[in-house]
Amino acid sequence: MASVVQVSAVTVAFGGLRALRGIDLDIARGERLAVIGPNGAGKTTLFNVIAGDIAPTTGAVVIKGQDCTYRPSRHRPRLGLARTYQKARAFAGLTVRENIYLALAGHRGRHRALWRSSADRAMRDEAAEVAAQVWLSGQVDAVAGELAHGQRRQLELAMAVATRPDVMLLDEPASGLSRGERERLVELLESFDEQLTLLVIEHDMDVAFRIAQRVVVMADGEQVTAGTPEQVRADPHVHRIYLGTEAVA
Amino acid sequence: MKLRERLTARTLVLAGLVLILVLLPSLATAFFVNFVMTQTLILGLAAATIVFLSRYGGMTSLAQLLMFGIAGFMFGNAALDGGARGLNLGWHPWAAVGFAMLVTTLAAFVLGAIASRTTGIYFLMLTLVYGVIGYFVFAQIVEISGPGGITSIQRPDLLGPPVRLYYAGLLLSVLAYLGFRASRRTAFGLALQGVRDDPVRMASLGFNVALHRALAFTLAGFVAGLAGLLNVWWNGQIDPASISIGPTLILLIIAVIGGISSLEGAWLGAFVYVLVFTYLRDLPLVDGIGITEARFNTVIGVIVLAIMVLSPEGLTGIVQRLRGGARPVHPTEKELGGTRP
Repeated sequence: MASVVQVSAVTVAFGGLRALRGIDLDIARGERLAVIGPNGAGKTTLFNVIAGDIAPTTGAVVIKGQDCTYRPSRHRPRLGLARTYQKARAFAGLTVRENIYLALAGHRGRHRALWRSSADRAMRDEAAEVAAQVWLSGQVDAVAGELAHGQRRQLELAMAVATRPDVMLLDEPASGLSRGERERLVELLESFDEQLTLLVIEHDMDVAFRIAQRVVVMADGEQVTAGTPEQVRADPHVHRIYLGTEAVA
Repeated sequence: MKLRERLTARTLVLAGLVLILVLLPSLATAFFVNFVMTQTLILGLAAATIVFLSRYGGMTSLAQLLMFGIAGFMFGNAALDGGARGLNLGWHPWAAVGFAMLVTTLAAFVLGAIASRTTGIYFLMLTLVYGVIGYFVFAQIVEISGPGGITSIQRPDLLGPPVRLYYAGLLLSVLAYLGFRASRRTAFGLALQGVRDDPVRMASLGFNVALHRALAFTLAGFVAGLAGLLNVWWNGQIDPASISIGPTLILLIIAVIGGISSLEGAWLGAFVYVLVFTYLRDLPLVDGIGITEARFNTVIGVIVLAIMVLSPEGLTGIVQRLRGGARPVHPTEKELGGTRP
């Protein structure tokens, strides 16, 4: 399968701290990839590099054949890349509909329109439809700052889904969700189009292993191992990283 | 939105207020209308641009009086001829208006584009620097400001009688208020609020954060320029001292008195400022406690201090509390130009 995201020898240094050390990653179109690892492993930094929020110190990021290493994050949506953040970053003073509307407007470049138009109204209606996809139809006119934690995460996901991306980066989407909400999240992720490439950082192994076809394990800014969920589950390195013990046969 | 939804108590109160202001020339003295209220509308219009940038863009600007001054100086240079100070271009008054607004808007865009890469205290300081540089430009280049300012500026014939200037101020104030309010729900206004709340998130959604900030600054500069035109028509002259650091801070103080998170507060703050400025000397026994006209700024300082202590949301916050209605909306740190912790 053709690569949609290529990360080559990426290193990120924050002063004396090397958050990423020569990461290589080749992600195929339609692949479901989970990135796991303990806190401080560099998972979110890797996402930030792919999403353009920070530029790597060395190395390269290629998305759909275009070198995006030093291109700012605002160019990513037009390349079909959408992301969510570890801490939900919906706009607290705006409604659910307006948050999703902004995601649509940013992707389509309609945000410079000063006054309403029919296209503008259509986008507002579309925003409500996207809200329904993530079970937020009852809260479409609620202010984002007043939503419960789980609903904010749903909204974060809706803002990524709204742009119909080719590549979606989800940073701990199940964090803080109840058991029921996690089930619904997994159902939603499994319902996505097969052509959608999904990169997920997740601490909940159950969620990560159910979604992923391939799992990359990171520790101290390096890739420790990679493989299918079954291979990773049985890998003694992974047990040592997470539990400090070898795998129990 | 349906008409019924638009007819909130607040809208009805504001519509009633506008009606009273329309009828004011037949209800009040010419001095009150042509001096107190015209000045209130002009300063309120300029202060509203500070509120707009702060409320929707999270940018507290100290450059709005500079835009106000650029428009005034440019009009004076373009409209006057022979014998007056400045460039004496002698253009038709409306051509001079177009020229003044064009220069002001371009200046606002360029200065906004530079300032758009800063936030919070850095934005505030940069716009203060703009104000200081602007003052020295006009103070030192006398070819465009005349030695001691440009005087004998005439307003266009259409605005000849003073009461027409009052109505022009009222019309522009109403249009600016409605425009700023309406912009809140437009694509641009929503994007601006997003930029205020989380610029990194907005960039990841595909928005050019710096461009949005620059465009908002340009829009605010344009409106401040309109207020500057009204000011030179009302005052008949403009000099560099009128855009120095003191008046620059006064405009910010007007916005703070009214409530920097409320558009209505800009005109309310201007009204209080002009009332104090005009009538302080007439208060009985004021001289006896040592408050003279020369100590006017001290009085304003004490008023601002009292308002900040009693109601950080300004006078509009106090009005909302007195009405006993909804809790006043506290301006967030971002709305006041703060930075994400």
